[in-house]
Amino acid sequence: MSKVLAVAQRVLRQLAADRRFLFLSLVLPMLILAIAKAAIETLNNPFIDISQLVVPIGAFVVHFVTYVLCAIVLVRERTMHTLARMFVSGYRQVHIIGGYVLAYTALGTLQSLAIMLELRQLFNLSYRVPTLVSLYLVIWLLAIISISLGILVSNFARTEGQIFPFIPMVTIPGIFLSDVIISLDRMPLWAQWLGRATPLYHANRLIQRLIRPDATLAANWLHIGTLVLYIVVVMTLATRTLRESD
Amino acid sequence: MSVIQLTNASKRYGRIQALDSVTLSVKAGEIFGLLGANGAGKSTLIRLLTGSTRPTSGSITVLGRSPVRDSQAVRREIGYMPQAPALYEDLSPRDNLRFFGHAHQTEGLEERISELLDFSNLRHRERDAVHEFSGGMKQRVSLACALLHRPPVLLLDEPTAGVDPRLRAEFWKHFRELAAAGVTLLISTHQMDEALYCDRLAVLSDGRVIACDTPRNILHQGRAKVRVWRNGNLTEEILEDYPERLPTLLGLDPSVTRIELQEDTLDNVLLGLIQERGGAPRE
Repeated sequence: MSKVLAVAQRVLRQLAADRRFLFLSLVLPMLILAIAKAAIETLNNPFIDISQLVVPIGAFVVHFVTYVLCAIVLVRERTMHTLARMFVSGYRQVHIIGGYVLAYTALGTLQSLAIMLELRQLFNLSYRVPTLVSLYLVIWLLAIISISLGILVSNFARTEGQIFPFIPMVTIPGIFLSDVIISLDRMPLWAQWLGRATPLYHANRLIQRLIRPDATLAANWLHIGTLVLYIVVVMTLATRTLRESD
Repeated sequence: MSVIQLTNASKRYGRIQALDSVTLSVKAGEIFGLLGANGAGKSTLIRLLTGSTRPTSGSITVLGRSPVRDSQAVRREIGYMPQAPALYEDLSPRDNLRFFGHAHQTEGLEERISELLDFSNLRHRERDAVHEFSGGMKQRVSLACALLHRPPVLLLDEPTAGVDPRLRAEFWKHFRELAAAGVTLLISTHQMDEALYCDRLAVLSDGRVIACDTPRNILHQGRAKVRVWRNGNLTEEILEDYPERLPTLLGLDPSVTRIELQEDTLDNVLLGLIQERGGAPRE
């Protein structure tokens, strides 16, 4: 555990040293959400229930930003040769992945909080405090999944350029297959299965349940468990696929 | 017992034969040099010893253990300095040292870091980000990272690349001190003058060891150009065994009035060896 903390501490020091990166990673998601608000307001369609869209959009923004930020991290370690040095110094896959997830979760926590507060402010969300806390928890868990996913895909790229094809591969299908804009039940069976593999689908399902009147987190423990299981699976895959060299 | 032993070790990357049946051994407290041009296989050999990559065939042991099967145990005993500085450039030297020191669970880490910062002459810059440093300063931090846990075996991949001559001399002085204290050093270089500081050398060309001996014995494989004046007439001779023939030449020919001897440099000897035993690059 001490080696996981050592990696996390080092990554946090690096994040703290890069003030511009830190600023942009907090401000950009908020800016994207403000643009989304302007777009939603222009819809003015009586057949669209805005209340069902707002929180999932916020969740998507967090998912997209945290995923993109993390997709580059291990490629950078590889190209700077620090990954090889970490391994030779005695760090193992579990320490590196665990440390990175832990450090970026700290950033993801702040991003989720900023988005949640902005959502409440921009869209005048009138949910009770327990509901807001539950929604924050879902967005936070989604952020951790996205961090793990970003780190997982960064294992498969040898150069920074190779990361770019992976970015739309994970984020774009999520938009169509998460049941937010298009009903997944009306899609072909293969698309339904693919949709169920996206973290955004599970997060959206949980959000839709939680925004119902009288919904409680305790009543949805199974869905929370699905998100936690998703984190465990992706982190395990990331750990198993992190290769030291050729 | 050999601290490092390679027996017919080969490494192939796809169609490229990076190392070809290399056999060599390094004894405790020895400074062993790996000499060769870029792409000769020096870094591959070092990476095999760190367990970062597996040999395609042959066997390798470090302190009697396999770097592949027993990588964690081997890695506790080695200090590795890669060719690139491999540092977190947005962090300070102290933070870099602290991070790699945690991995080895070094006792008295902060004191050891201060000691190494003094040795690297970087104490006054210990809180500055590494990206502000010159190439030589980064090499010093990188070497300090390798020395942190006082390993008995040091694998240094071109440690003095980009380092100024004064600092290079300091590095080698320290390598000598470490060897005297029983540390085994395997150092790769492509600088011929540095090779002379090693106890023994392996010359690599296209993944093969084309010579392995002391620098002195390798130098003796060279030739000497002898300029001889006989009764005022100059003749030039190339002698391959000049240490044996020179006394005869001097003693038995009374017409010889002056002799000038120009020995092969190590560069020339090695270039000759590469041409003679190396051959064209292979795929």
